[in-house]
Amino acid sequence: MQYLSGIDDHRTSTGLDNRKMLMWAFLGSDVMFFGTLIGTHLIYRNRSLSGPQEEILSIPITTISTFVLLMSSLAMVLALAAIQRGNMGSFRFWTAIVCVFGSIFIGFQMFEFAEFAHLGLTPRTNLFGSTFLVMTGFHGTHVAVGILWLWTILFASYKGKIHQGNSLQVEIAGLYWHFVDIVWIVIFGVVYLIGAYGAEGRALEEVHHAARAAGIG
Amino acid sequence: MATEHAHVEEHTHPGPRQYVIIGAILAVITLIEFGVFYLEMDAALMTWIILVLSSSKFLLVVGYFMHLKFDDVRFSGLFFAPFVIMVSIGVVLMALFFNLTR
Repeated sequence: MQYLSGIDDHRTSTGLDNRKMLMWAFLGSDVMFFGTLIGTHLIYRNRSLSGPQEEILSIPITTISTFVLLMSSLAMVLALAAIQRGNMGSFRFWTAIVCVFGSIFIGFQMFEFAEFAHLGLTPRTNLFGSTFLVMTGFHGTHVAVGILWLWTILFASYKGKIHQGNSLQVEIAGLYWHFVDIVWIVIFGVVYLIGAYGAEGRALEEVHHAARAAGIG
Repeated sequence: MATEHAHVEEHTHPGPRQYVIIGAILAVITLIEFGVFYLEMDAALMTWIILVLSSSKFLLVVGYFMHLKFDDVRFSGLFFAPFVIMVSIGVVLMALFFNLTR
């Protein structure tokens, strides 16, 4: 009964739950935020005058991390389906999988950033470094926030604060998690695959051009 | 009324079996993207192939995992209106920037 009145309290004149509306409005605003970061990166693409650029992106490693994040989204939706059916054991299992996969993704990103630093690419190196690391770092921060949120929900479920009756809280956290996933789908496609395609050839061409200009080649 | 609403919503959303199928499709598309990257082809063609594949993944996650295909259409409006604005601004800015700096 308490649950029923709780749901009614969150209904609006639109007939929609205000918490879910708030999350969608937030995601809409976050789309603009990521759009700015991705757009800035694309505008400044191939405009760095020195330092490494797209040729240092490792597509095999990023494909694996993309796969891990996609599978975390699958685990998230399975966790939601489980709690909506009142299967708390399955819900906890899949939520823990989401957190583990999210952490693996963060691990891949930290490895990638460390490799870039080793190759001389930092946010201060060139335009590519600034725009790429801010964009992917901002996304990584979103993933980290999502992991913390889901751990909190997982622990709250053990205390009885998350149950079938308020599964909407899991659905809202899930919306956030899937959003993080779709942002990465865009970054992986546009920035990594399209950006790095033929980048090695372009870099070699630039080296030859510089050598010819210096009278070496 | 509230339980009735929740009951109806639960039945209109896909089940675990469909979610796993969608997950498998997403994995296969990612594998195709990876394969396409190593094919020798025109950069413009490759760009279009990746855009189509990425858009398919995007729509599958938004439609099925985020339930926009099944939820109230106003949620779609809240999400896709800023999305369209963002993409439009991005395209216009890129066109403008490239024209001005060429």
